[in-house]
Amino acid sequence: PGVPGAAEPLESREQQVRASLRERYLRSLLAMVGSQVSFTLHAGVQVTAHFGATDLDVANFYVSQLQTPIGVQAEALLRCSDIIAYTFRP
Amino acid sequence: MSEWTKKGPLEWQEYTYKEVRVTACEKEFRGWVLTTDPVSANIVLVNFLDDGSLSVTGIMGQTVQSVETLGEGDWRTRERLTHLFSSGHC
Repeated sequence: PGVPGAAEPLESREQQVRASLRERYLRSLLAMVGSQVSFTLHAGVQVTAHFGATDLDVANFYVSQLQTPIGVQAEALLRCSDIIAYTFRP
Repeated sequence: MSEWTKKGPLEWQEYTYKEVRVTACEKEFRGWVLTTDPVSANIVLVNFLDDGSLSVTGIMGQTVQSVETLGEGDWRTRERLTHLFSSGHC
């Protein structure tokens, strides 16, 4: 390390960084389980729900007690394509 | 597809621990970058609140229009972010 020409291949360094970014992301999701999460959706809609899980490709958020402007939904699947952002307090 | 989702792990890593302003779907988010998920390009921002607690915001990678660095952050912030969610009990 630090010696020009003796550096590890770019691909393996990329892969290492990828793994550490991913691990930190998965830990942040794990910390969110059971928390009250506020979702900012498209069309200016804001909803809150209890976070349960996501799938590994982060395409869906499985939530419970979804509070919407038209009532509370016991369980729901939020598609990530409908979400702009989510916020919680660990 | 947004520019942000086309970046690679090494480019995403550059933003870690920095204070940024993210624009996504005409909305603005500010905070310290905890990580970027290499699968979804979702960015996780942390904000330290006045009462000592914190809030965590995930922004969907596909909605990200721009990410602007506002500050580099000192070692204390870096330290707090490094230890967040990594308390080895899982």
